[in-house]
Amino acid sequence: MNIDDLKDTWKNDQPKGDNLNSKSAFCKKSGSPLSRIRRNMKSEFIAVLVSYACLIMLLFYGNQSAHYLNLANPVVNASIIVIFILFILNGFYFGRFFAFYRSFSQYDLNLKDSIRKITYELELNIEIYKTYNFCVTPLAVLVTFMLLCGTNGMHYVQKVLSTNTFESPLNLLIIFAVIIISFAVTYICINHHLRTQYGKYVAELKEIADDLGNEG
Amino acid sequence: MDTKQARFLQLIEENKGILFKISKIYQDDPEDRSDLLQEMILQLWIAFDSYRAESKFSTWMYRVGLNTAIAFFRKQKRRPDSEKLPFGFDQAEEKTLAGEKEEQLAVFYKAVQHLNKVEKALVYLYMEDVPYDDIAASLGITPINVRVRLNRLKSKLKEIIKNMNYEYR
Repeated sequence: MNIDDLKDTWKNDQPKGDNLNSKSAFCKKSGSPLSRIRRNMKSEFIAVLVSYACLIMLLFYGNQSAHYLNLANPVVNASIIVIFILFILNGFYFGRFFAFYRSFSQYDLNLKDSIRKITYELELNIEIYKTYNFCVTPLAVLVTFMLLCGTNGMHYVQKVLSTNTFESPLNLLIIFAVIIISFAVTYICINHHLRTQYGKYVAELKEIADDLGNEG
Repeated sequence: MDTKQARFLQLIEENKGILFKISKIYQDDPEDRSDLLQEMILQLWIAFDSYRAESKFSTWMYRVGLNTAIAFFRKQKRRPDSEKLPFGFDQAEEKTLAGEKEEQLAVFYKAVQHLNKVEKALVYLYMEDVPYDDIAASLGITPINVRVRLNRLKSKLKEIIKNMNYEYR
């Protein structure tokens, strides 16, 4: 056999029957890596809204919940401030993601440009997503800690804040260690999640882009 | 169904052979082929507004189709390793494929599965008799590189087919 001799057979190889279900494609979700990130982002956005609603209900339910959770006023006020910071951060990042995804999708470029564009967008998204999580997760953990530990936790923080750091720096060092560990754990978890979810796509797309780019 | 959607579906139907061949070249597994077909139609629909009718619809279609196929990653799922020849999309089609040339085409499809994604795009465009300049424009490389790559590709395919115990002239 020879591939040049096969060209006629190739041209005659047409689909038989009504196998192409075009209409169902409109209802289907795209399986491209970027679309998957977009869907994950949408789910996360919904989860964030639900958690905000829960927190706001918890905090503004009045004295009953504060009493039930053993929350003193400083704990409630500090939680509200951190939640407000989280709200601004979430608004900023989700706003950026939304604007980015609206501008996305141009599949009729040449192959090299298309692959480069997809790879760039995928990498950019991953980096923004990392930054977002790196900013938000430790603060979310802090709010959870404040609400769960209640006044007891606040007593400890007050004790640390009122201690003379130069005479007994141990408490402050413990706080630093906890902060560093929480950031490190967040970073490792996000990286692991992104590497397992999207790492191989990026690697393969980069390989294709390099292959085309080397001889362009 | 609005006019735009009806026009799109008609154009897809008229040129569906392009999508079938791209999906056959890029995916060996019938389920993955079906997923890729759906993904290509979806991406064509998303990009449909950018089609300006300056070029033939089929040219625009294979460009979007190939770009989608290259960026498409099959689902993570366990499946038994299959050594079946990649005949048609369904049993009915398999039965109609007969004769030496059809068998050779099936072997060819099987051999193509051993190529990388860029090589598969080249094979598709070569088999469609797309001029070298147009292949170069579609891939974003120079016409000289198209020639070089195609020569390498033919040698590679020859080796693969020989290793599959088929005679290659």
